[in-house]
Amino acid sequence: MLSPYGLDIIESCLTCKMRAERLFCDLPTSALQSFESIKYATAYPKGAVLFVEGQAPRGIFVLCKGRVKLSICATDGKTLILKIAEPGEVLGLSATVSGKPYELTSETIDPCQVNFVKREDFLRFLREHSDACFKVAEQLSEKYNNACHEVRSLGLSHSAGEKLAKLLLEWSSKNGEANKQEPRLKLALTHEEIAQMIGTSRETVTRLFADLKKRQIVQAKGSTLVIRNKVALKAMATNN
Amino acid sequence: MTPITVLFPVEDYLAGMESAIQQSCLNCALRPDRLFCDLPTSALTAFNDVKSNLVCPRNTVLFREGQPARGVFVLCEGRAKISVCSESGKRLTLRVAVPGEVLGLSAALSGTAHEVTAELLDNARVGLVKRKDLLSFLREHREACLHVVTLLSQDLHIAYDRVRSVGLGRNRRVRNARAS
Repeated sequence: MLSPYGLDIIESCLTCKMRAERLFCDLPTSALQSFESIKYATAYPKGAVLFVEGQAPRGIFVLCKGRVKLSICATDGKTLILKIAEPGEVLGLSATVSGKPYELTSETIDPCQVNFVKREDFLRFLREHSDACFKVAEQLSEKYNNACHEVRSLGLSHSAGEKLAKLLLEWSSKNGEANKQEPRLKLALTHEEIAQMIGTSRETVTRLFADLKKRQIVQAKGSTLVIRNKVALKAMATNN
Repeated sequence: MTPITVLFPVEDYLAGMESAIQQSCLNCALRPDRLFCDLPTSALTAFNDVKSNLVCPRNTVLFREGQPARGVFVLCEGRAKISVCSESGKRLTLRVAVPGEVLGLSAALSGTAHEVTAELLDNARVGLVKRKDLLSFLREHREACLHVVTLLSQDLHIAYDRVRSVGLGRNRRVRNARAS
């Protein structure tokens, strides 16, 4: 079935072909049937806000298709992007489990399919299905590790250049590019969004990219970035 | 300075602490007040069978970041400093863990290296559970798994708070001054 946003909606988790590759979704049939009865499949356009930081938790959002930007905000409106969530991730998990307000704001950056589950239904589901509970623990562990990584990067990096180098190396290690001499990465974010990921200004990011290009450490080909000198980028990332 | 993991305390220290060790979780009076420990008897008995009691002196490093997760440490008595470290050795304290907390949980569950370093601030009593034993215990005992999910959610909230304060709260000069 096609939705208004051109998404090919996956109606049932039981027939989803991507299930096996996704940490939370790969559940035994009994748990999956039970999950199927409590979830609401929804399609969102680009730019939709799933939940806002500080809001009371309504439930979890399983991201089936598309990408979602997870950010936190200071009282002066300054934003920090923590992560770009990919399909298979469960959003709003810790707030739903603990009953505390959502810690992050999540906003779709592509048209997305999201399966929403109400908090009471989800907590009951976890109590009844230990496999699902275990998978939730694994997801939370991963999120915790990411948050610690973020604190380290933000709190202990010396400069914006160091943080940008770390971010580019992290992105280049994905999609089978890790062992390549000159890894390529698709820059799906604007300079403004990259600035929000490393806690600096848009102007600084633009200046840093210009500097990296001038020193032939990176080369831009449209929206693709080629890391020409991985050694130099690693040296920048370790502040050497 | 490279922290070294010390799991077995010196003899003199052991003599002083031995009497204080509560060998069994089943007899622990503090259990109802602690999120992870407040388990039904069957789960508690199973947990008691897989854990080892350790008495560790102050400054013991239970695990350090980058080290593969071998298990979890249930903090029965004493406090631990949870910190992250840069390549240059600069440290940033994330929080201070208090009795009742389970340390090393996220790395043990995800099977990755520890993301943080845990160092004891006091002389402490710790219950050690090997990773393999923890995973089978959680698979068999749903209540314990739920407690773990709740604990991880709380840890995550604290971690996000730290991200907010480090990333948005202060300028670099103040942050650098706070990092030891």
